Order: sequence, then C-alpha cells, then structure tokens
Amino acid sequence: MSVLKYESAVRAPLVDGQKTYHQVTEDIIRPIEAPPSRLWKIGFGISVALLLFGVYSVYREVTYGIGQWNLNKTIGWGWDITNFVWWVGIGHAGTLISAILLLFRQGWRTGVNRAAEAMTIFAVMCAGQFPIFHMGRVWMAMFVLPYPNSRGPLWVNFTSPLLWDVFAISTYFTVSLLFWYAGLLPDLATVRDRALVKWRKRMYGVLSFGWTGSTKHWQRHESLSLVLAGLSTPLVLSVHTIVSFDFATSVIPGWHTTIFPPYFVAGAIFSGFAMVQTLMIIVRKVLNLQDYVTIEHIEVMNKVIVLTGSIVGVAYLTELFMAWYSQNPYEQYAFFYSRANLLSPYGWSYWGMMACNVISPQIFWFKKLRRNVTVTFFMSVIVNVGMWFERFVIIVTSLYRDYLPSSWSVYYSPTIWEIGFYLGTFGLFFTCFFLFAKWFPVIAVAEIKHILKKSGESWKQGQDELEQKEVKEFEHAMHH
Amino acid sequence: MSNSTIWQSFGQRNQSEAFEELGQDEFREDLPMEADDKGLLDAKTPRRDFLKYLGFSTAAASLAASCEMPVKTAIPFVNKPENVVPGVANYYATTYTQDGDVLSVVAKVRDGRPIKIEGNDMNPITGGGTSARAQASVLDLYDVKRLRFPAQVVEGKIQEIPTFEAFDKAVSDKMAGLGGKPVVILTTTITSPSTKKLVGEFLAKYPGSRHVTYDAVSNSGMILANEATFGSKAIPSYHFDKAKVIVSLGADFLGTWLSPVEFARQYATGRKIDEKNITLSKHYQFESLLSMTGANADERFVHKPSEAGVVALALYNAATGSQVTGVNEKVKAGIMKAARDLRAAGGSALVVSGSNDPNVQVVVNAINQFVGAYGKTINWGVTSNYRQGVDADMVALVNEMNAGNVGALLIAGANPAYNYPEPEKFIKGLEKVALKVSFNTKLDETTQLCQYVLPDHHYLESWGDAEAKSGYQSFIQPTIHPLFKTRQWQDSLLKWSGVAGDYATYLKEYWIGIVGGQENWDAALRVGVRFPGEMPISAGSYNATLVGSAVAALSVAPKAGKWEIEIYQKVAIGNGAHSSNPWLQEMPDPITKATWDNYAMISAAAANELFGIDIRKNGDSDSYEVNPAKPMIRIKANGKELELPVLIIPGTDRYTLGIALGYGRIPQVGVASRNVGQNAYPLAAIKGDQIVFATYDATVEALETKYEVAQNQVYNYYTDSLGVKRIEVVKETSLANFVKHPEQFKHERDHLVENYAKRGGDYRNEGSLYDPRMNDRPGIHWGMSIDLNSCNGCGACIVACNAENNIPVVGKKEVMRGHEMHWLRIDRYYVNKPGGDPDDLADVVFMPMMCQHCDNAPCENVCPVAATNHSSEGLNQMTYNRCIGTRYCANNCPFKVRRFNWADYTGADSFKDNQIGIIDRVTLSMNDDLTRMVLNPDVTVRSRGVIEKCSFCVQRLQEGKLTAKKESRPLKDGEVKTACMSACPTSAIVFGDANDKQSLVTKSREESPLRMYYALEQIHVLPNVNYMAKIRNTDEVDEEHATPAHKEEATKG
Repeated sequence: MSVLKYESAVRAPLVDGQKTYHQVTEDIIRPIEAPPSRLWKIGFGISVALLLFGVYSVYREVTYGIGQWNLNKTIGWGWDITNFVWWVGIGHAGTLISAILLLFRQGWRTGVNRAAEAMTIFAVMCAGQFPIFHMGRVWMAMFVLPYPNSRGPLWVNFTSPLLWDVFAISTYFTVSLLFWYAGLLPDLATVRDRALVKWRKRMYGVLSFGWTGSTKHWQRHESLSLVLAGLSTPLVLSVHTIVSFDFATSVIPGWHTTIFPPYFVAGAIFSGFAMVQTLMIIVRKVLNLQDYVTIEHIEVMNKVIVLTGSIVGVAYLTELFMAWYSQNPYEQYAFFYSRANLLSPYGWSYWGMMACNVISPQIFWFKKLRRNVTVTFFMSVIVNVGMWFERFVIIVTSLYRDYLPSSWSVYYSPTIWEIGFYLGTFGLFFTCFFLFAKWFPVIAVAEIKHILKKSGESWKQGQDELEQKEVKEFEHAMHH
Repeated sequence: MSNSTIWQSFGQRNQSEAFEELGQDEFREDLPMEADDKGLLDAKTPRRDFLKYLGFSTAAASLAASCEMPVKTAIPFVNKPENVVPGVANYYATTYTQDGDVLSVVAKVRDGRPIKIEGNDMNPITGGGTSARAQASVLDLYDVKRLRFPAQVVEGKIQEIPTFEAFDKAVSDKMAGLGGKPVVILTTTITSPSTKKLVGEFLAKYPGSRHVTYDAVSNSGMILANEATFGSKAIPSYHFDKAKVIVSLGADFLGTWLSPVEFARQYATGRKIDEKNITLSKHYQFESLLSMTGANADERFVHKPSEAGVVALALYNAATGSQVTGVNEKVKAGIMKAARDLRAAGGSALVVSGSNDPNVQVVVNAINQFVGAYGKTINWGVTSNYRQGVDADMVALVNEMNAGNVGALLIAGANPAYNYPEPEKFIKGLEKVALKVSFNTKLDETTQLCQYVLPDHHYLESWGDAEAKSGYQSFIQPTIHPLFKTRQWQDSLLKWSGVAGDYATYLKEYWIGIVGGQENWDAALRVGVRFPGEMPISAGSYNATLVGSAVAALSVAPKAGKWEIEIYQKVAIGNGAHSSNPWLQEMPDPITKATWDNYAMISAAAANELFGIDIRKNGDSDSYEVNPAKPMIRIKANGKELELPVLIIPGTDRYTLGIALGYGRIPQVGVASRNVGQNAYPLAAIKGDQIVFATYDATVEALETKYEVAQNQVYNYYTDSLGVKRIEVVKETSLANFVKHPEQFKHERDHLVENYAKRGGDYRNEGSLYDPRMNDRPGIHWGMSIDLNSCNGCGACIVACNAENNIPVVGKKEVMRGHEMHWLRIDRYYVNKPGGDPDDLADVVFMPMMCQHCDNAPCENVCPVAATNHSSEGLNQMTYNRCIGTRYCANNCPFKVRRFNWADYTGADSFKDNQIGIIDRVTLSMNDDLTRMVLNPDVTVRSRGVIEKCSFCVQRLQEGKLTAKKESRPLKDGEVKTACMSACPTSAIVFGDANDKQSLVTKSREESPLRMYYALEQIHVLPNVNYMAKIRNTDEVDEEHATPAHKEEATKG
C-alpha cells in the first residue's frame, strides 16, 4: 500500500542487498517456520517469569489493598500512573509510523511499521494495566463505562479527564489493533501458503481470514487501510493530549499547565521512537534482518529523536520561564525548588530527566553517531529512562509538596510490589513481543515488496544508470 | 356440618369489645414514634399524593424483589425497654473522671451502647467544652484488655475467683488476720464527696488506717505553698478570662495543668477579637520546652529547668521593684516587660506556675498578692479539687511499707509501680505488705504485683459524683449495664465495712440528704450538674511570713550540668492512664505532630550541636523532614540510661531535653500501649519529699542509630523552603501591625477582585469558567467559621471526629507511611522572628483543617464515576459505594484532606483473610466485636479502596433536618452541631447555615470582615469553611505591609 509516486535516486536504498521478491519472503517468513532459537527460549522464559511476578504483585495489591504500595495521603499517584503515561507514550510510535508517516509519504516506514505497530499494541496493553489496577476497587471498574445500568440514574462523569482517558485509550487500542491486523492479512496468507504442516496451514488460514490475493481483496485491503490510517492520524495527537489533561486540568502547581498537550505528544513520539530503536536493533540482529531495517532507518529515526527531544527540552525551559514569569509562588516552588534544585529531595529525578532527554540526545547532531548502531541502542535506552523520569517528575514532584506545607509528604519510594507491577508489564510486553516475533512476520512483507521496486538496492542501481544515461543524453542534446 | 365456633381465646369467643379493637390494630403496641408523629399514622393518602405513593411503593417493591438482601441477625426486643427507640439515641448526663480530672459530659447511647461523649453545656465552668481524653474515654469502655472478672493474681497471671462472695470472703479473712497493722487506701485524687465520706467510714472500721492520695503528676508544691500563705491545703479557682495580663511560669494551663478545658475556655474569651474595639489579653510564657500553652503565648522566653526558681524570683523582684539578677539578658528583658504589664493591669493580672517546688509557689503567690490578683483573677471563694495529692504522704507511705508497717494496701486508680520516681523502692515495700488488693480495670504494673484484683467499672457503667470545685458538683450515672463481671470499688468498700446496700443507694441517700427529696435528686441526675447561683468571690487571707525564707531558698540556683531534662505530660496521653487508648495514641501531639511514641524534644541549636543538622539549611531540613527515621541519643541521668529518638522542636531551651510521661507500659495494659515509647517516670526525682519532674544534670550522647517516628506533619512552617510566606494559607500578624494596618488582610482579598472580577466585583461568580451560581441556591447553605485566635491546638475535635465518624485507627507504621485516616487535623506552623534563629519563635499557629466543602470543588469534576459531588446545601459529598478508588480527587485536593482506605482497616471488605499481617495489631483489636460496639451506627464503615473525608457530620445534619421537618418548622441555628464544634472548649469552630442571616456562622463572618479569609482563595475553589486571621498581642511592627507581597524576608529558620 504505497502512495509513493517518486523516489529520488540520490536517496539511499531502503532495502539493502540484491533482493528478489522471493528472497524477501524467505528472509522474513523463515523465522516463523523454523523452531525457536535458544536465545528466543531464554528471552521468552525471562519474560514469562517477569509476567508471573507482576501477576503476583497485582494479586497482592488487589487482595490486600493499595497499601501494598507506598503511596500516601499526599502522593496519590506514584509509580502506577508514571508507568501508565510512560507506556502510553511508548505506544505512540506505531501509529505515528503507520499513519502520519504514511501521509507524509515517508517510504522508510515500511521497514519498521509492523514491529512498531505491534509494539504500540503491546505498550498500550501494558499501559492499560495501570489505570485499571491503580483503582482501590478494581472489581468495580465497570463503573467507568457509560452503559445503561440498573444503578439508578448513575452515569459517568463526563468532566473527568480520567474518563476521557478511558475513551481515548480504548479507541486508540482498537484502531491500532485493527490497523495492525489489517496490514497483517496478506502476510499471514503468505505464511499459510508456504506452510508444510497441516495445523499451521489451518491456523494461518483462519488468521488470514481467507485471503486469496485477488485484485478485489487488494482493493478492499487498500481502502480499509486508508480509512484506518485516516482514523488513527488524529488519535496520535489526541491520546497523549488527553493523557496530559489528567494533569493539565487539575489545580496542582506543576500540573496546571497549558503547555502539556504538545509537550506530551512530542515526548510520546520521542519515547516511542526510542523504544522502536531498542526493539528493532535487537530484532534485526537476532532475526538477521539488517537488509530491511537498515542504517538508513536507524538514522532517520535518530533524527526524529533529536527533533522531538529538543522540542521536549524547549518545553521544559518554557515551563521554567513561565513559572518565573507568572510570579506565582506555588508554581515557582514546584519548578524551582521541588524540581530544578538538585539538592531538594527529588532534585535527582529532574536532573536525571534533563540529562537523559535534553542533553544526551544532542549527540545525534553528529552523523557518525547517528549511524552508529551501538550508540543508538544505548541512547534509545537512555531516552526511555529519561522519559520515565519525566513522568515521575511531573507526578511525584508536583504532588509531594503542593499548596499546604502541613501536608508535604515524607519521602516516597516504591515497595517491591510496586516495582513488581512495573516489571510485570515488562514481562507482559516482552512475552507478547516474543510471541509476535515467533508467530508473525515482524516486517510487512507485502509492503516491502511494494517499495522494493522503487527503493530496493538493485532498482536504485538501475535508476542510477538510467539517470546517468539520461544526463548524458541531455548533455548530448545541449551540445546540438 | 358442625356449627361449633373455633376460638383461640376467651376474648375471641365472647367477642369482647377490647378484643375486637385489638384485632383491628395492626400493631399490638405503640409504634416507636414520638408523640407528635401520631398524626402521621392516621393520615389518609390524599388524592394529590397518589402518584407519589404509587411511585414509591413500586420502587420499594422492585427494590425488595430484585436485590439479594443480606441476612442480618438483628433480634427485636421481646419486651421493649421503656424510652428506647431503635435507631434513636438517648443522652445521659454523666461525668468523666480520671485521676482528679473532672468533666461534665453527656453520653450518647444508641441501642443501649454509649458511643459518643459530648460536653454538658449545663456546666457553667466548662460550658460544654471537652478534652481529647474525655472524648476518647468511651473507647476505654470497650477495651479488649479490660479485666473481666474478680481474680487472684499469681505471679502476674490472673486466676478467676468465681463469685464476688468468694472474693469478699478471701479478702475479709485476710483483713481479719492483719494483726493490727493498718489498712491503707491508696488512690489518686478523689473528687467525689460521697466516696470521701464512704472512705472515711471504712477507715473508721479499721482503726489506725488511713487514706493516701497519690497523684502521678501532683500539684503538691502548690498545695503546700497555699497552706503556708493562705492556711488552706487547697487550690483556688483561676479566672484567665478576667486577666488582661497572664504570666505563666512553665504552667501548661491550656494543655495539661489542673483543668485545661476550664482554663482554655476562659483564656479564649480574652483572645476573641471584636474588630470595632480591639482588646486582647497579653500572655507571657517562661518555660523550658515548647508547651501547647507556650505555643499560644504572645511572648515566650526560655530557661533551663533548674532556673525555674530563679526566674520566679526574678519576676518577684521585678514586680516589687527590686534588682533582677541571675537570669540572662533575654529572659531579664522579658521579665521586666512582664512585670511592668502585671503592675499596670490593676489587678487584672495573673501569674501561674507549673513548678512543684513549694518555694516557687510561695513566691508566685506573693507576686499575685502584690499585683492584686486575689479576689479578681484568683478566687479563694471557690476552691478546686482537681489535685489533692501531697508527695510527702506517698514518700512516707513507701517508707512505712518498706519498714513493714503496712498491713493491707487497697489500691484504686494509683499505679506507683509504674509512675513512682523510685519504682523499685515501692515494689520492694509492696512485697512486705500482707494484703494487696487492686481495684482496677486493667492488669497494670501495680495490679500485677497485688494478690487480688477486683475489676472496677468504667465510669460509663458507674454511679458517682464529682465535685471539681467546691459547690460545683457533677453526677455520674451508668449508661450501660456492666459489660463484665466487675464491681465498683466503692461497692467493695461498703461490703467490707459491713454496710448493707450498694453504692448506688448510698449515693442516692447521700444526695437526697443534701438536695432534699427524690425528685430533686432525679432532676440533678438528669441535668448532671449542680452549682450555686452566683459564684462566691474571696481574696483569701494572705500571710506573707514565709515569703522571706522562700526567697532565700530560691536565690541560690540548684547545681546543674550542661544538659537538663524536663519530663512533661502530653496533651493526649497525660500521665499515662489513657495510654492504651488507640484514639489518643493516634492523635498527633499538638506541638510535635508525632503519634505512637515518646522521644526527646530538642532545640534546633542542640540538633546542630549533636548531629550537625542545621534546619536553617534546606538540604539538612529536607532530609530530616522527609525521612521518618530520626537520629537517636543516649541519655544518662539519675543513674538511669535511656535511648530515645530526637525530634527537633524550635523554641526548646538550648540545653534542655523534653521527654513525655505515660509511655513504656507493660503489655498487659493494652494493645495500643504495647511497645510504645519508654517510661520517663524514673527520670523524675524525689527531693525533700517533693517529686521534681526534671533532671538538672544529664549526659547526652549522639548515637549512630536511627529510630522511626510517625508524624502526620513533617514540614513545619508556612514559609516555604524558598523563603516565601504562603499568606493565602495562613494569615497572622501582631496586634500592633493589625492596629496600624487593619485592612491588611482585606486588601489581600481585594486584590483578587481587582484581578479577576473587574466587571462586577463579584469574585465568587466572575472568577470561573464554571457557573458557581448553580450553588447559590435558596435554602440551607452549610458553612463553617474557624477563629485561629481561639484555637489552641488541643485536639479535642480530632478525637470527637474519630468517634463520631468511625474513623479507623491505623497504627504507627501506617501513620508513618502517610496513611492516617483523620478527617480533621490541626496543622501547626511555627513563625520565626526575623534574624534567622529557628529557636526564636514569634508565634505558633494552629489551623484546624478539614474538607473545605468547596463550592467549586476540584475533587468533584475529576472523579470519573461521579462518586463525589455537591449537594444543594453546599456539602461536598462522598458516595462510598460508588467510589472506585482512583485517588484523583485526593491528588487534586489543594487542602489534602481526602483519605484513602489503603488496607482493610475495618473488616468491611468482602475479601477474606486480608487483614492479618497487613494491618496493625491495634487496628485488628479495633475490629474486635467488643471494640466495634463503639461504632456510630449512623455512619457507614468504609471498606478498603475508597476515599473518605469530612462530611460536616452529615448524619447529624440529616437528623436535625428530619426532626425540624416532622415538627413542620425550619431548622434553628445551633440545633445541629458538627462533632468538632461541639467538642471545642474554646468555641473556635462555628457551624451553621450561611444563608441564614441570623446564624452564628453568618454573624461571625460579617462581624470580622478584617480578619475573615478563605484558605487558598486565589485558586477559586470557593471553600465553605473560612478562617479568622490570628493576631498575637505583640508590638512588633513590620516595615511595609500594605501590599500582599509574597517576597518577604526569609524568616524560615
């Protein structure tokens, strides 16, 4: 499904190696058909173990109460909502790559969009755990759903940003899932068609919804994808905007800020791309897909990272400026003491955030570092650590010392069960991702084939020659 | 067919008229409704109401049909007791008495169980005020560790004695075999005249016997001084309300000294501000520790405990115009100023001293005589009976016991094995006493060393009387049948002296003899108090002969080392008698804000010296504040060694440590007092037959170890760490400033109008995106007004709120984690003088903080499920069963008054087995079936995972409105009071309908436009609780004041 009309010959090829269509299929589908590697088994085992620990942590919290965490009367949200926003942020890259980059005609997205979308779905699944299980009475969670009920005229409260979250996240998840799955259909059919075992054929047959590859199918598939792309484009902006409303609409100094929506969206793209980098660098290495996820991909994503990182940095500085400019003592306290003062109890988190999110990504101004896989990998991890700090800073440093000095909190640090819940979502995420990498094509085969003709290495070479030839002809004509 | 009739009773057979009538009545007996409601039952359904009834019955039927109703094992009365209507509370006047403390109270009894203590406003002395301890006393009734039967104590374990008769026989057998050795009755102060008579009669039966009064913390020095100067072994009445100048030499008269509720009430009248005619009493405090009274003082000066005599003498000299020596410059300046004011007050002056040294008290009496206080602020016409113990009597008793000269010791209330300064000596002496009987509710330190224990009633199960002041009596009547096999100790005395009849009869006869006739006695019991029409006033006959020797004795200060220790009573725990009361243990100390522990209070300077913690430095103060683990010290004094955590209390004397009494109890005393704190009584010393609650020479050593202390407030100033005063939170100033700039606070509020309501000048309605006029509806609009000048921080409201609203006790560990559930707290803010010395306090502000019931509540709009919403009467309501526990409301509450149920504190959860190992053992014991009897059935017990908060006692509001509605009249102002309002001894809290122009709350707002403010008004949440700025009576004038400048000099430490 490519809308690319023209591809410059000067641009580096998006698919390396002299690939034929068959080779593309071979490269990407082969890991699905081969038995899982030892590395996969170890990774999967660790993920499941983490997941189980998370499940136990949540079990304790649900059975014994939120007192299993170290939150208190002043700090009502801590690691739980920090992790929620963090995961939601990560879940932004997938749709951005699928939808917005599609609209901007960025051909390079095909190499990473499948995995990025999968990552989005898993990240949103992880994110969803936190607002659900941070509830004191999770068994009453259905109260947030606006459905006709037998509880009298009780209805949800449409003025609450938390309710908007419910709609935003569930919509986002649904659309992302559909988009991702719609893209998977032709590839699943490919897997089915290649299958040598009966159960595999049957399973992928069901999963691919009887895809035959007829022109009609392709036509419908294209239309559906376009519709979903259109739907998800505003969602990329809306989800984190709404998440930011959780804070922006409140009265707490440090939360009550109009800059939050764009700042959150930029931050989300920032962390989402970093997570894509982390995952794709591993995947391309482990599954030997360097030809499809090329240095070009890595570089272009690093550019996005340095751009969004700088936007976030400007937002941080704007906040500080506004705190000073407003002359509001409560704002000033939140920003200048609770945050920017390194020696205050949580000063470390603010400066950790600054170092990870604003200062360190600046190394990507250098092309050499941008194209260095190892540097990129470490940077991508640092960015996500930084973005975790950012959410922690916003939530905890605003809450722990707000209006009434009498209510200022003792030092908050998580309990093992709070950490366990977070680790559990890592477990969930990687369990899903490992399963995905084993059972689904991690790169969109059909889409790669689309661009192979326009941006594949061999095609590019042909183009090059053609261009040379044309130039010569032109020169020749000029002579006459 | 047979035409025989089938009949069930003769009535039916004979078809008697009475039977017919009965058969027509659906209910055999009268329904439990008040007389006025009778018409309701006879009313026919009017045509107009048909649809209403139809709707109601359909709804009721469908509700009944569709819901699975829980099975409740409520058993109806077979024979309904008279005057008991299920669901309607009865109130009985009675009297809280404990170790000489006397408070006239009213016990609220629901379905036969006392559940709440209210002040008895018929008492002219206290006017319905209560203390935290009185409020909490109802919980002691249901203490799981109460002794439940008469018993023999064998090696600290109790063995039941099956009957009282067996017990009486065992004791009287032993009594008969004493061989002529005397019987001694050892009690704390007895305020009951009938008991005194009874004790006298009992002692007459046993020649050579005597009664010894031992007060753990006595006013012995004062009693002896009064004997020396007035010839009367008594304590006069004090009138702080009539004093324009009050000088307290270490007397914590608002917190723990003699009769704090009485004094707090008097004191508050002198602190009320009429903005049109501003007068304010002037209060000087000279002390070593920061007491609650000192915190309320206008000017405060510190000295070492050993200098107490010198300071008293200096004041005497200054007042009489002699040379002042022996005190440092700061204290000297204070003394000169205080003396000048005392002299100028024209008799409206009062000096009180907390010292137990008769010489100091003699000198204080001399000062009072000199300034003309007697007959004006001190009244010998009415004497106080709060403390009667003379230390020398107890010292003599212990010596006699050790000499083997005591045959039997009957102990009621006293606990010397715990609170005598030399417990080993007492215990040794006790071993030599042949018969030791304890009348106690608990197996305390002394009781476990006795042979027999006959458990006493709780006062709510007892008959009795109390004469707090001569001529002012208060009566005790039982409000519940005794829960256990216990007997009032007076009954035992009667039995053992061979008198027939019980104490109830004895008491009745005693009082009928005085009041004349059963009817008068019944009336007296109903009202609960008896007092003369007019208070007799007398200056007493002063005798100055002993002043000279007292002055001479004081002019030489006792030898003292570098560090000194003062042992003090906490406002909540006092001498320790109530230390097993979970409500009191969890009530944060007014000054230190700490719960569940005792510790050493040290000055900021001392903290710097010992630990290098400089609280003027943000880094140091942050790390000290945010970590519950506090540094520890090792104290060596009196040959004793203690290791205690340290709390930095600015305003403590440089080299003085303060350690609270009442901790370190044995486990048998109670679940709540187990492993809580350490016993400080051994640090007291007996000097010349007087117990001195201080040590003048101690060594102090900083330790590496830390100890966690649970405080509910960790940051102590309203000036933040950037040095900015948060004037929207607390407004306070000096009187001189206020007189110079009376509009100062009003200007600050006017700025909001200028900035946000330019069009119409209506900040309330213009300053918002929402339309708050939605809330400006006709009808009731509840509001509260709190005067910071009246609040002294005593905490009675906190405990009253706990009791009224079933607030769970969470225990130390949970408090430490910020999980305490209190709906009402009292924020305490230190205010420093300019200059940067944190120990130099200008003021301490106490600010009661509860849900402000904002009309534009930030909590309401963020709840995703609308579990918290606004009533048409301005209440911010919490719907527990709708709450899903996102805590968003708590985060968005600028006052941080919302509380979350972090664990299953109440057992109301549907999850099984999720309490043990998770919640504190104290919380578990509060879940015991016995303790749960104290729960207020009108208030939902909240389950785990929901938010709760102050409801303005909505159950009381509803009850009041219902009563008014049934009587077809509007609700009267003052008819409903919140629990905090009715508990407050100083009337600092006023509650009512703000739409009623005549209501107290409206008046209080309108009458104080210059001091009235809403906390955090600038964020436009529109609270329904307002505060009155605090004015302290000092003459300091700030340089500039007209603007609400935030950037003031960094006055935080």
